[in-house]
Amino acid sequence: MKNSASANIIALSSTALALPGIALADAPPTQSTVSYKLSNYQEDDLPRSELPFGKLERYDIDVQQFQLVAPMGRNMSVHVDANYESLSGASPWFTTLGLDGKPVVNLSGASGISDNRSELSAGTRYYLDNGSFAGNIGYSEENDYRAVYFGLNGERHYNNDLTTLAGGFSYSSDDIFPTDAALFNRVREEDKQSSSVFVSLTQIINQVSSFQTALSFTEQSGFLSDPYKLRDVRPEDKTQIAWSNSYRRFFVAANAAMHVNYRFYHDDFGISSHTGDFSWHQNLGRQFEIVPQLRYYSQSAADFFSNVDNFLNPLSEYQSSDYRLSAFGAVSGGFSLIADMGSWKATLTAERYLANDKYSAYDVSQPSTALVKYNRLSLGVDFSF
Amino acid sequence: MKQLRTALLLLTCSLILISCADVRAWERGYLARDEMTWDPDPLESALNDHIFFSKEASSGGNSAAGGGCGCN
Repeated sequence: MKNSASANIIALSSTALALPGIALADAPPTQSTVSYKLSNYQEDDLPRSELPFGKLERYDIDVQQFQLVAPMGRNMSVHVDANYESLSGASPWFTTLGLDGKPVVNLSGASGISDNRSELSAGTRYYLDNGSFAGNIGYSEENDYRAVYFGLNGERHYNNDLTTLAGGFSYSSDDIFPTDAALFNRVREEDKQSSSVFVSLTQIINQVSSFQTALSFTEQSGFLSDPYKLRDVRPEDKTQIAWSNSYRRFFVAANAAMHVNYRFYHDDFGISSHTGDFSWHQNLGRQFEIVPQLRYYSQSAADFFSNVDNFLNPLSEYQSSDYRLSAFGAVSGGFSLIADMGSWKATLTAERYLANDKYSAYDVSQPSTALVKYNRLSLGVDFSF
Repeated sequence: MKQLRTALLLLTCSLILISCADVRAWERGYLARDEMTWDPDPLESALNDHIFFSKEASSGGNSAAGGGCGCN
């Protein structure tokens, strides 16, 4: 009888460990999954107060994503990812003072910009009794940009699989060759390199909650300026640090899971940021799920940011009027509807993103023009076989 | 450096605050549910990372960076 009880416990434990994600113990997927997601996001027109002349339209972007994840033998899995992105519209070129003394922006090209990005990456993961290790390579190409990258990472479980320590490294070599370089006196060909390392610790807290904390360092060197801006000169080295924390909790009575994430970021351009997001994964019966989500982001300005380009500044000095280097805050919210039909799963997501200097948690000494607002709509399908 | 020290201090505190209840393997059913995974929809999170990377100055976090793009 005792042996039978022990056997049952062992069987139960084995079953539990074989479930995906359980106990943080890794196991290769038991079946293959093909995923496809089609998304569109469209930036709002600029207000006329920020752009006195010309068309107000900004970017309209379509993204298609494909992924295949499949088991390979008993201890391995492989994945292939392919992305195709097409964009058209206009982007800020330079800023000046308007007639009312406030900054105004000038967009690039009366006819706008049109570009495509294709990306292909592949990777594999090898599973051990108490962890796994993985590698991936990738290639991305645009009309004016090319990136080749690879990454290695691994994880090991401790403390009866209650604790997981993970770490990884990645490297990217990028080439930049702007279009119409001779016409607009842009750089002809430049390059940059990025190296990144991370370490993370994951801990099961109790039967319904777990926590993860992670630290990443990224070092970039080379041409880090924006070649499409009229006056954009940035340092040729940047060190970034990001500290992320994630918490998951399942509420049994509500049959729902809560996700809370927070990230602190700092780089030596002088930018710091806080990012917090919250989502509630509410099950509706066995087949449906609704996921409302909310995100808040705020960053400080780069040391060399100016909301009006100073044409008297020598180009040997660091300078940029790129709104992405200004102090601002952003609020975004949306929801996903998920229908899980066994081997088929469909996900519909809608999101609204609003950036504004008034939302900033940091001091805003120079409010930027051209902060982005956009709507996003995505439809994803997964098929397992 | 002050912000880095604060981040490291908070990290240490958060690690101390984690209680390590002994949750047996067969008690982890809720943790194993799809909606409790760290990344329930990898394509969705990859898309979000890419969009935010193109609109904001911050990036990075719980993984190493991938390839760059001309969007930032």
